[in-house]
Amino acid sequence: MAGSALRRLMAEYKQLTLDPPEGIVAGPISEDNFFEWEALIAGPEGTCFEGGVFPARLVFPPDYPLSPPKMKFTCDMFHPNIFADGRVCISILHAPGDDPMGYELSAERWSPVQSVEKILLSVVSMLAEPNDESGANVDAAIMWRERRDEFNTIARRLVRKTLGLPT
Amino acid sequence: MQLLISSVCMALTSAVIGNAYYQKQQFYPAVVYITKSNASMAVIYIQFFVIVFMFGKLLRKIFLGTLRAAEFEHLLERFWYALTETCLAFTVFRDDFNPRFVALFTVLLFLKSFHWLAEERVDFMERSPVLGWLFHIRVGSLLTMLGILDYVLLMHAYNSTLVRGPSVQLVFGFEYAILLTVIASTAIKYVLHAAEMRTDTPWENKAVFLLYTELVIGLIKVVLYLFFVVIMAKIYALPMFVFRPMFFTIRNFRKALNDVIMSRRAIRNMNTLYPDATPEELRQSDNICIICREDMINHSKKLPCGHIFHTTCLRSWFQRQQTCPTCRLNILRTPAVNSTAMPRAGEDAAAAAAGNPAPAAGGAQPAPAPTSQTPAADTNQGRGNGPAAGVNGPPPTFAEIFGEANGLPNGLPNMGGLPMVPPPMAPVMPMMSPFMMPPTAFAYFTPPFLPPPPMPLDLAKFTDEELRAMEGHQRENIEQRLKLLNNINLMLDSAGVMMTQYQNLAARLQLSVAPQIPVNSGANSSREQAAAGPAVYDKPSTSATARAQLETHQINSTPVATVAGAEKVTIEDLGADEDDEPSTATETVSLAISDADIDENSSELSELRKRRLKFLEERNKSSSGSELRTTVE
Repeated sequence: MAGSALRRLMAEYKQLTLDPPEGIVAGPISEDNFFEWEALIAGPEGTCFEGGVFPARLVFPPDYPLSPPKMKFTCDMFHPNIFADGRVCISILHAPGDDPMGYELSAERWSPVQSVEKILLSVVSMLAEPNDESGANVDAAIMWRERRDEFNTIARRLVRKTLGLPT
Repeated sequence: MQLLISSVCMALTSAVIGNAYYQKQQFYPAVVYITKSNASMAVIYIQFFVIVFMFGKLLRKIFLGTLRAAEFEHLLERFWYALTETCLAFTVFRDDFNPRFVALFTVLLFLKSFHWLAEERVDFMERSPVLGWLFHIRVGSLLTMLGILDYVLLMHAYNSTLVRGPSVQLVFGFEYAILLTVIASTAIKYVLHAAEMRTDTPWENKAVFLLYTELVIGLIKVVLYLFFVVIMAKIYALPMFVFRPMFFTIRNFRKALNDVIMSRRAIRNMNTLYPDATPEELRQSDNICIICREDMINHSKKLPCGHIFHTTCLRSWFQRQQTCPTCRLNILRTPAVNSTAMPRAGEDAAAAAAGNPAPAAGGAQPAPAPTSQTPAADTNQGRGNGPAAGVNGPPPTFAEIFGEANGLPNGLPNMGGLPMVPPPMAPVMPMMSPFMMPPTAFAYFTPPFLPPPPMPLDLAKFTDEELRAMEGHQRENIEQRLKLLNNINLMLDSAGVMMTQYQNLAARLQLSVAPQIPVNSGANSSREQAAAGPAVYDKPSTSATARAQLETHQINSTPVATVAGAEKVTIEDLGADEDDEPSTATETVSLAISDADIDENSSELSELRKRRLKFLEERNKSSSGSELRTTVE
């Protein structure tokens, strides 16, 4: 019998494979290490990220699900809630207790009840509706708030880039 | 790349040796020539390191196979730190510096790297879905080999220190002793993991064993480090090079100690406070533990909020946080009240255990508290509502607050502490009946009245803030708590002022009213009186209406009681789903309370009262709510 973290990750993998939510594909990078996943997230329709497919990497801690995984986009992203290096900054990924932005309610933080699927769905909704209050990427937050057109142009360029199209 | 370097190195070495032979023609003079020439020695050193590196690769191939990317990364990172520390160690022993010394340090670093790799491998066991027999053979032989080597080298260092007095061997002896502890903990972990793999069911106590292993090994390491630093400081200089590892070891030890304490507390809480889930309850729910996503067949616990989890899953979660994973109900707070309620008020305990998640959870907060305290209150009342009884009432409860707060270990003391505030209200409320009793008594027990409904809500509000403030230091908690108590105190004072007004009124109203009220209070249950109380005190204190109001109070006492009941339910609800409700009321109340800081004068009492009315309005939009208002105004 393997460790509980491993069993839970296997169960989640199975669940995600059997019943994948729309616009999300996720699974371990290699079957002999279930603690590193790759996820592909489709840009939500009706937003400036529409049509894009954004690859991300999830790294799970050994004590998952007691601690949250870390998520990082492996493509270029320009978004108020994504750091320049691709790390995603949403409250569901923060363990109660550490609050990088100092405003999150404990109710929306990580708990073992959350899952990979919920994280990815939150990320999709984050793409659709950036939270410009917490600026992981301040430039993007300001641009999103004040110069939406410019932001949309950059986002569409990123979408084309992820698809391998000429920008 | 590596191939290139090693072949270049080979070529250089052959060139150096060939050159020496060519010049001296004989073996011995050639060796002397090489050792005398710095350039040649440098080449020989580099060749030596290349050979060591290749040997390491060979051993790695044999014992570990290919390294995973993460393993390699960690190895590299730790290697650079270790190298820096070795260089620092060189500064202490610069007098002993010679090729033999360098060789010994190389061997040490070499062995260290394998210890780290073995550690990583064993940690990886828990994450890997399938492990073949090759893995076990490799890890087993690696651990044995490293253990033997460590022991031999430790003994060598020990003996040479005994024979030749303290030298650089002291450092080696110490380093190998540390490595031996590393091997020991790795081996224990390996055995535990392997044992778990052999069984088909999750091994519940493994986490506990691991925790204690960590604790014991951590303790040994800390002692070793301290011992070593003291010896080194006495004989040589302060050993800078062990400060970093020592710091990390002490930190890990502290963490392990903390984990053990938290774990013990979680286990104790689980065993004493929460009932095992019954088969029916399991059947009613979907029977999946949401923490590990596996079926719950046995060993499940039910929290006061009605959510059911595996005992082990819950325990490991409680080690980090004392909330329900699903609804984030603070379980430290709830049971704190619940446990006091259980022995005294059987029916509450039964209700909590019976199921009905919401009422049970809600009831656990404000409801059991009054019930649990009622016996005491009743006896007080039986004794005849005297001032003595009243005076006896409040102080112990405040002491309780502090006691409770101090009693709780660092987790979430405030949450445990604050809910205890309602109880003081509860016993005091019944005593309102004798409010025609000697005036001195009034100032004492009437006050808690004004705030009763707000308190629990306000606490819910405070917990959120507190939680944040609390994560850092215990001291802050106490400060926060003191602040809250201060607020209460202020409100008591203000209520006291109000009471004086009432006394004046009562004096003007003649004593004819007085006899009626004790009779009335005797007839009604204490709960009703308690409920009636607030209504009375919410009345505007003009002398013209006062008499009429006192009478309406008697007539309306029963409806008011129901109103109070309704109000109570809403409070409980709020307590139960504090996360779901936006709790605007909470804010109002906290506003009122923070304002109470400022409002001390009786002129501003009306303001307080208005706020409270607004609050009640918001809470009870229902008809009963409006009834209360009509009664009040």
